[in-house]
Amino acid sequence: MIDVQELAKWYGPTLAVDQLTFQIESGQIIGFLGPNGAGKSTTLRILTGFLPMTSGRASVAGYDLTTQSQQARSKIGYLPESTPLYGEMRVEEYLHYRGKLQGMDRRSRSDRISMVCDRCGLEQLRRRLIGQLSRGNRQRIGIAQALLHNPPVLILDEPTAGLDPTQITHVRELIAELRGQHTIVLSTHILAEVEKSADRVMIIARGKVVAEGSPDELRRQVAAGSSILIVEAKATQEAAQKVITEIHGVQSTTSKTDDGWTQIRVTADGNIDVREPIGAAMLQNGWAIREMRHEIATLEQFFIEVTAQQDQAVA
Amino acid sequence: MKQTLTIARRELASLFFSPIAYVVIGLFALGSSLIFLNTFAPNMPATLRGTFSGLIWLMIFLIPAISMRLVSEEYRNGTIETLMTTPISDTQVIIGKWLGAMGFLMALFVPLIFLAGVLEMNGSPDWGPIISGFVGLLLVGGLYLAIGTFASALTENQIIAFLITVFVICLLTITLYFLPQAEWVWPNLRKALHYMNVNAQFETFNKGLLVMGNCLYFCSGIALFLFVAVKTLESRRWR
Repeated sequence: MIDVQELAKWYGPTLAVDQLTFQIESGQIIGFLGPNGAGKSTTLRILTGFLPMTSGRASVAGYDLTTQSQQARSKIGYLPESTPLYGEMRVEEYLHYRGKLQGMDRRSRSDRISMVCDRCGLEQLRRRLIGQLSRGNRQRIGIAQALLHNPPVLILDEPTAGLDPTQITHVRELIAELRGQHTIVLSTHILAEVEKSADRVMIIARGKVVAEGSPDELRRQVAAGSSILIVEAKATQEAAQKVITEIHGVQSTTSKTDDGWTQIRVTADGNIDVREPIGAAMLQNGWAIREMRHEIATLEQFFIEVTAQQDQAVA
Repeated sequence: MKQTLTIARRELASLFFSPIAYVVIGLFALGSSLIFLNTFAPNMPATLRGTFSGLIWLMIFLIPAISMRLVSEEYRNGTIETLMTTPISDTQVIIGKWLGAMGFLMALFVPLIFLAGVLEMNGSPDWGPIISGFVGLLLVGGLYLAIGTFASALTENQIIAFLITVFVICLLTITLYFLPQAEWVWPNLRKALHYMNVNAQFETFNKGLLVMGNCLYFCSGIALFLFVAVKTLESRRWR
């Protein structure tokens, strides 16, 4: 549905997007993840035909963005980063305006407006002035506007930025509902967002894709190599650390003591389960165990790791 | 075409939403009435000629106030992004915005109909020059709005857009009024410069003449500035 080949974008002397190549299948939900200034918004703006690329090729729904921009744009519903709207218009009036710009006739406009208002929870607000609405409601209008002409591709730039937790949940649910009907590209710097809803995650740093895969795959990549175990026992710091370091498979430990209890963070070989020998060693020494748990690798760590690597590579 | 009119209608509606619009309407109504009262006396010819001549000076400052927000505001609000990602062309955007402002211009000229009515009640005016003068005024307004649309597409700052518009209009009116009178300018050039003067072009309409050449002057001027405005808007994509 979306095909991007060696896409690059220079802003004067600054390189914002660096030789990006990726394909997105029809019906997928893709999460663009990256720190601020990584080139997410620039990439999305190029995909919507708002900005031209410096070099490379991109096509949406089979239409090339340079030569068939108008056709490509008609296949896209776009929610820009800050949800720009006309404050002086009423919600319904604005949606009619957008529908007309998309070339929809009166009948299909009325039908679709009722539909998207229902979907985005705007029923009660149809006659309200946009300028008087809250951030969350404006965001709903932005999403409604993007959905209006039932585009095969939806591009949402930070759809949950600036929303409160309830509103974030609403937006997430809405995106989940849209699964299968549209190809959705969404960008965010919040991981939880893509962890739940995206089929595929692309982590972007400094204009490059630094990691790619399903959220599970990425998580496994983090977990591979070593696992981390947290043990809390009633023992002195030195004694506990000495005993644990001797166990086969343990690579390193760090510990801290609080009120007679020592918490030890054990990094062990990913292929060896060290929980049993550690438990046995504790019993042997007569130390009480208060806690023993696996620290689950989160995408968050992975994200920080890969973006930091990218920064180091540049420095 | 449909989309162009959609943009024009939204533009017109949003013009009426801004307080500047009412200030401009008020000043125009006040200005035209004051100028009219100066020429309105017993035994004077029942024409609007003097009023129109005065008004095109007033328009130098009032028209840019209407046009300054046309594109600038879209830049500033970021709505340009949603506008340019719909399947409409840059030309449609610019022409739509200019047409919307032209609609507003019509509303601005409503007080002039009352002034003509006053003449009709108190004397027997010759309607020919009044109508041709009115057409001329619309063309001058159209040209100024086209210049304003171009200036507005240049910057997201409305004040700068306003000043650029006033500057360009002054070049076409005041500068081209004084230059042809200067002794040191080559006589043929003087003629050419005088021809390019907006006020001189308008005078023909004011006299009651509808001449092809004058209409062409304004239409080509409008087309030129709208074309440059489209190119300016396009160039923002490439920067």
